[in-house]
Amino acid sequence: MNIEAKADALLPREAEAGLAGHLAGCPACAAEDAAIAATGPALRALTGIRSMEKAPELDAIWTRVRAGIEEGREARRRSPWIARWAWVPAAFALAVVAFLFYPAGTDRSPFHPSTFDVSVEDVESEGATVALVDKGEDLPRVIWIIEDA
Amino acid sequence: MNEREKGGVPDDALIRTTLAGDDGAFGELVERYKGRAFAVAVGIVGDGDDALDVVQDSFIKAYYKLKEFRFGSNFYTWFYRLLVNQAIDRWRKSARSAEVPFDESWLSEDASPPDSFAYPRTPEDLARDRELGDALQRAVDSLPEYHRAVIVLREVDGMAYDEIAKVLGCSVGTVMSRLHYARGKLKEALKTHREG
Repeated sequence: MNIEAKADALLPREAEAGLAGHLAGCPACAAEDAAIAATGPALRALTGIRSMEKAPELDAIWTRVRAGIEEGREARRRSPWIARWAWVPAAFALAVVAFLFYPAGTDRSPFHPSTFDVSVEDVESEGATVALVDKGEDLPRVIWIIEDA
Repeated sequence: MNEREKGGVPDDALIRTTLAGDDGAFGELVERYKGRAFAVAVGIVGDGDDALDVVQDSFIKAYYKLKEFRFGSNFYTWFYRLLVNQAIDRWRKSARSAEVPFDESWLSEDASPPDSFAYPRTPEDLARDRELGDALQRAVDSLPEYHRAVIVLREVDGMAYDEIAKVLGCSVGTVMSRLHYARGKLKEALKTHREG
């Protein structure tokens, strides 16, 4: 593992010195070290050959990319508007279904308008505010406040 | 700012300009990364024409996904993720992905090479030894896709372990383990050739 860490330049200086001492006296480890150290340059040489072979095409890659981008734009322009906005009715239908079935399957109790005891009261303020108060529970609860314009 | 931006307009600025409607700025990003992108792609797919297609398709995909890019992160890490996935997809569809048998003879350990042997360090060295080039390509082809991606990103692109982990969406430990395995395979290919 030290040999691999050395190849990645991750070995601490003192450990590298120790490894160098060992490699000097151990042909098997020296061969291992040489082979591991060679994998990177060999792989770069391999991809380098392919890069040299395709250099002219690679020089012109932006032309190909730009053409592909234009093609994509054209395809999007041609696509019918109905396909682009098809999600809207689907989302609406989903919202309606969710509304109809809520709160089925949850712990919250359903809406019971009969328990409401709603009254309209004046609240003292400079803007002559009107409040709708729900008295259906132990404590009065303000539901809505409407300020005069 | 990363290495690729030195002396030029930062990647983020080019992305903003592209998003504002200037395709020329994206062209500059393409010019900036095309060489490295090709080297990574060809390392994974093995074939030059396939690699060109992968590079082209990855840049087109990046263009249309650019609004999803998170400013402050590295463009090349984000782009390489698209590139590597595109390359792996291409590899799977290619005829080259047909089972490449692993040559067990690579596993011989007791190598005592002739002193005069030198491993190839440049494309020219390797071009002179076609057999070794073929053996090396077979060894690369025999690696599982993500192991191949790891060793290519590390050895060809020079990416750090944590960057590779981000590109591949895995842990640094997984990167190290895959790298160890992949290096082992390539090392054996080189040693076997040297012995032969």
